[in-house]
Amino acid sequence: MKTIKQVLGGDLRQYTMVLALAVLIIVFNVISGGRMLTPSNFQNLLSGNAYVLILALGMLMVIVIGQIDLSVGSVAGFSGMVMALAARDYNLPWWLAVLLALAIGAVVGAWNGFFVAKLGIPGFITTLGSWMMFRGLVIWISQSISVPAPEELRFFGAGYLPEWGPTFTGMNNSTLVLGLIGIVCFAYFQLKNHKRQGEIAGGVQDPMWAVVTRIVLVSALIGYFTWLYGSGRAGTSFPIPGLILLILIIIYHTLTQRTTFGRHVYAVGGNKNAAALSGVNVSRTYFLTFMNMSMLAAVAGILFVGRATAAGPADGTSWEMDAIASVFIGGAAVSGGVGTIIATMVGGLVMAVLNNGLMLMGVGSDKTQVIKGLVLLAAVAFDVYNKSAGRPSIIGRLFGSGEEKKEG
Amino acid sequence: MMRKRKLFLSMLMAASLSVFTLAGCGGSREGSSSSTESATNTAEETADETDAAEEEGDAAEETAAGEGFEADATIGISLPWLGTQNWKEAQDMFTEQLEAEGFTALVQAADQKVPQQQQQIESMIQNGAKVIVVGPVDGTQLGSVLEEAKDAGVYVLGYDRLIENTDAVDGVVQFGSVRTGELQGQALLDGLKAEKGDGPYNIELFGGGPADPNAPNFFTGAMSVLQPEIDAGNLVVVSGQTDFTQCATEDWDNSKAQKRMDSLLAGNYSDKQIDGVLSPNDGIGRAIITACEDAGQDIPVVTGLDAENESVEWVWQGKQYCTVAKPTQDLVAKTVEIIKSLQAGEGMPAYEVKTNNGKIDVPIYELDPVVVTKDNAQEVFANDPDRLELLK
Amino acid sequence: MASNSLILEMRGITKEFPGVKALDNVTLKVDNDSIHSICGENGAGKSTLMKVLSGVYPYGTYEGSIFFQGQEMRFKNIKESESAGIVIIHQELTMIPELSVTENIFMGNEITNNGLINWHEERRRTVDLLEKVGLNIDPDTLIKHMGVGQQQLVEIAKALSKNVKLLILDEPTSALNEDDSANLLELMRGLKKDGITCIMISHKLNEIAAISDAVTVIRDGQTVESYEVVAGQVDEDKIIRSMVGRSIENRYPEHESHPGDIIFEVSNWCVEDAEVSGKMLCKNSSFNVRAGEIVGFAGLMGAGRTELMRSLFGRNFGIYKSGTIKIHGKEVELTSVESAIEHGIAYVPEDRKTLGLNLLDSIRKTIVAADLKKILSGWLLNPDKELAAAEEYRKALRIKTASVDVGVNTLSGGNQQKVVLSKWMFTEPDVLILDEPTRGIDVGAKYEIYKLIHELADQGKAVIMVSSELPELLGVVDRIYTIFEGTITGELPASEADQESLMKRMTVTSAA
Repeated sequence: MKTIKQVLGGDLRQYTMVLALAVLIIVFNVISGGRMLTPSNFQNLLSGNAYVLILALGMLMVIVIGQIDLSVGSVAGFSGMVMALAARDYNLPWWLAVLLALAIGAVVGAWNGFFVAKLGIPGFITTLGSWMMFRGLVIWISQSISVPAPEELRFFGAGYLPEWGPTFTGMNNSTLVLGLIGIVCFAYFQLKNHKRQGEIAGGVQDPMWAVVTRIVLVSALIGYFTWLYGSGRAGTSFPIPGLILLILIIIYHTLTQRTTFGRHVYAVGGNKNAAALSGVNVSRTYFLTFMNMSMLAAVAGILFVGRATAAGPADGTSWEMDAIASVFIGGAAVSGGVGTIIATMVGGLVMAVLNNGLMLMGVGSDKTQVIKGLVLLAAVAFDVYNKSAGRPSIIGRLFGSGEEKKEG
Repeated sequence: MMRKRKLFLSMLMAASLSVFTLAGCGGSREGSSSSTESATNTAEETADETDAAEEEGDAAEETAAGEGFEADATIGISLPWLGTQNWKEAQDMFTEQLEAEGFTALVQAADQKVPQQQQQIESMIQNGAKVIVVGPVDGTQLGSVLEEAKDAGVYVLGYDRLIENTDAVDGVVQFGSVRTGELQGQALLDGLKAEKGDGPYNIELFGGGPADPNAPNFFTGAMSVLQPEIDAGNLVVVSGQTDFTQCATEDWDNSKAQKRMDSLLAGNYSDKQIDGVLSPNDGIGRAIITACEDAGQDIPVVTGLDAENESVEWVWQGKQYCTVAKPTQDLVAKTVEIIKSLQAGEGMPAYEVKTNNGKIDVPIYELDPVVVTKDNAQEVFANDPDRLELLK
Repeated sequence: MASNSLILEMRGITKEFPGVKALDNVTLKVDNDSIHSICGENGAGKSTLMKVLSGVYPYGTYEGSIFFQGQEMRFKNIKESESAGIVIIHQELTMIPELSVTENIFMGNEITNNGLINWHEERRRTVDLLEKVGLNIDPDTLIKHMGVGQQQLVEIAKALSKNVKLLILDEPTSALNEDDSANLLELMRGLKKDGITCIMISHKLNEIAAISDAVTVIRDGQTVESYEVVAGQVDEDKIIRSMVGRSIENRYPEHESHPGDIIFEVSNWCVEDAEVSGKMLCKNSSFNVRAGEIVGFAGLMGAGRTELMRSLFGRNFGIYKSGTIKIHGKEVELTSVESAIEHGIAYVPEDRKTLGLNLLDSIRKTIVAADLKKILSGWLLNPDKELAAAEEYRKALRIKTASVDVGVNTLSGGNQQKVVLSKWMFTEPDVLILDEPTRGIDVGAKYEIYKLIHELADQGKAVIMVSSELPELLGVVDRIYTIFEGTITGELPASEADQESLMKRMTVTSAA
């Protein structure tokens, strides 16, 4: 048991959801007769859910800071609509239209941020207002009629990595390269981390064999998914929205874990007053977090319009709820201060796989909703139960890592 | 106790990990082979042929008969939602009739959400559907997924609403929407003459959900009948709101229509009687009638659409002047007929009309709706025992 | 002391958490109608023992047995222990600020008629209860409008409403001023006469000495000793010795300061209350601190000590009206906490849990939190530098923890305070403001903190220490300012001051 623990390393709690995700995928794969783990289904899974996962990135930060943003769906819809209209009615080149959409995201974010940070109005109320406003504006400017989007955007919303090079690899070479980069990076960081642990006083060094086993296992996993994505029908490969998501995940993981701003977000969410007395500019942190959220909403809107080939007046309806659900399934706390990008992505994928698997099984949307609702409650209840009782999580118990709680 | 649980959990963990790797291998093998599966291949060829045919022109297309597919193939039906009677009926009828013909029916509804419909269509492709019938939530926003379907060799049929902004659609089955509007407009005129004496008549206009491409067509059709009368002064739109965007009802939402009617009455009819209202469907029509009753007005002549049970009753009682039946039965039957033709390898049947959807000219299989008033209700529903039951 | 029959006997209580034995065969015997004090360092196991007694840890999760009024008790939850007559009043008050006294007293035990609350009866009983605890206020007063001392009394009234026989008070006076504390102790004596036994957990030895009939000392989860005493004649040093397991000759370490130049000077500082316009929190306050000097601020709660310090620390409190700050002789404008930190000021707030710490963070993240620039490598935070810094302070301040990666919420009060101090020492300040740095921490840890303060002064830093405990100020600092209602009312060298002379200046506005 200790062996597995050493191989996995790190905080074991975070593996609970990963395990749940793996079990879900396997179970659905078996029930659906192997239709889950196919190249095209996994391509769909990514390009069909990228927009929600991108929203969840920003939402995680908003929730960690102890706020909520209800306007993201409307803002996504609004940015996408402005982009489509600008391209159609004012003949803006597609890239200028995209920049315009991002700028709109930034302006809306500044608007939300102003009310929250400068006037101290709770995010819930501020963004409830924005939610209505921008929903109305989408319908207003579009006259409630869908607007076709520039062709080029298809690439961002539903495109694939290009095909090139030799055919003997038996798969899409771009995907192959991406997978190899992934494996090399993982191995590099593992070894670097291992070396560092050895050099720093007070650090605990994992044994070398555990590190190597970890690298081999993860490489096998990355390799498998590389192959899964790369070996689909000719012309398909790892989807572009997936790549955009991947890049954003790396950026936001680093932003939250390794930058001053990220630290400030957690500090404000954990204890606003203590953060203020530690020299954190609380209102600036609020402002930037909300601004960032709306910009990501614009990105999500652009990707969605790209995939849908048109911007519709109802785009973004209830997207905020999917994003919020992902964040909470990923273990974030409603009271703020807790949650990570990676866990949120896993939470979002649990929802996506659940949705996808149930559809593959032909389960109606009514029952799917019921099941998703139950999963959300179960995941959060599980988390709260663990935290409130001060118990180690099931996984923690599994490895006998009793979290010791001192009495105060 | 504690130790036992630990052991159990660890075994579970180990087991699931190994299953994961195993299942991973199994799944992937299927994944890779699916692209070389013969059925898919032929389907792709069919698609290619259709492509070629399209380029050659209309005449060629009709003869572009493929090889067909198995008689028990999966047919995907993606409906926008089940919130109104006609969609619920469509769900039941499709399931029933497709199963009766020996197909495997996969009927799903998308809760009026575009992304959900996109994902449902994708999962239908995954499930190996040969034909996907789509009643779109928003006809313009399915481009990418329908192209995926086309690439996978799946036939795509639009149901009830036009599918726009993509070339990946083989045909659309619907009631002529402009025609429906004309019938509604004419029925309103007839009703006013029959029930409200001599003109000029005070009327108001309502449109459907703007995201539904049919809604503006209904309105255009109705206005083609009403506008000359308005210009001649026989009809007076007291509020002056005659533009579709002014009259549209977001999401076909009855409550929004009722609110609009409330404010129209409050603002314009404090000293007038309202004689007639153009309503695009039954739900909105009933909302309008309710608003008029609340405002103390005599019930005006109100049109409708869909022949929902409650409205059929109201027509029978004389509360609602008329509804327009678009028998779901006919629409489903026509769709199933096309599917059977495709299955037999006979290609798409002949059609009369084509409509430009922004990308290509799409073949339209148009059916005629029927106006139902109190006078002809029993006649129209003679073959519909459920609705006949209401007329008692 | 007449030896009454026992009201409570806890036998051989052992409570284990994963990896830790919090209580090890603890025995506690409490006489009827007595006041029994439990002493021990933070983390000794006092709170755990009380949680076992009150059913927070239900029967079955601990070993040993509890006898209450001669019967063995097996509480499954707090509700059961309360219905048996055992009520615990926690250190952190648990009342709802937006509700009235009546509503709070009957919270969870509402008097109802057919499902509707009987307001009349509740109010009548509240008046009775308030009279018993000597509180003369309207039962409809909202809790948020009351002082901490009054709130404490309402808590006791609430306990009385539940027919309490054994009342447990956990650090009841930690948030109270002297008057309120004395008042509370008097009330406890009164309760004793009415047949209510009290268990008091406290760090304040003078209070224990004043009212206890018996004392039990717990150390490291074990009963060290337990004996009857005569109120007013308790040997405090004996208690301290058994609490810390060593004798402390002097509660305050020896220290000789070598003050240098004046490096921090405040002139005519005026601050207005942000909520009540026109009300001044600080009136023309002027003072100075030399390098290497420790300056104390004495004042009662609400006198404006904290308000003054926080307004100096980047105008973090109230509305700045006028006044100047000079650091190293140069006038500076500190309009934000960031700029205050940049100018070398550090402020350790009085309330560790709500202002000093993010309880969700680990020790290492907390220590670097006030100066993240120091651990930056380029754009990114460098975890190696962070770990190195955290380890450095862990060793230097002897923070008791297995690893710097554990959460600060797992630490005892004294160790938490050391982490907060580390956080501010990490910013390498010239001026260090400590607001009640030893509140709620045990004697041993206090001693270490005093020594740390002395070391900081020896490094040439200007240290300002705010404290409600006059002996502490007299024992640690070099010079004392007294403050009353926002005005500095006096300045005395510690060598010339005594408690009486300070108290005089803390309660009367000097006419001059």
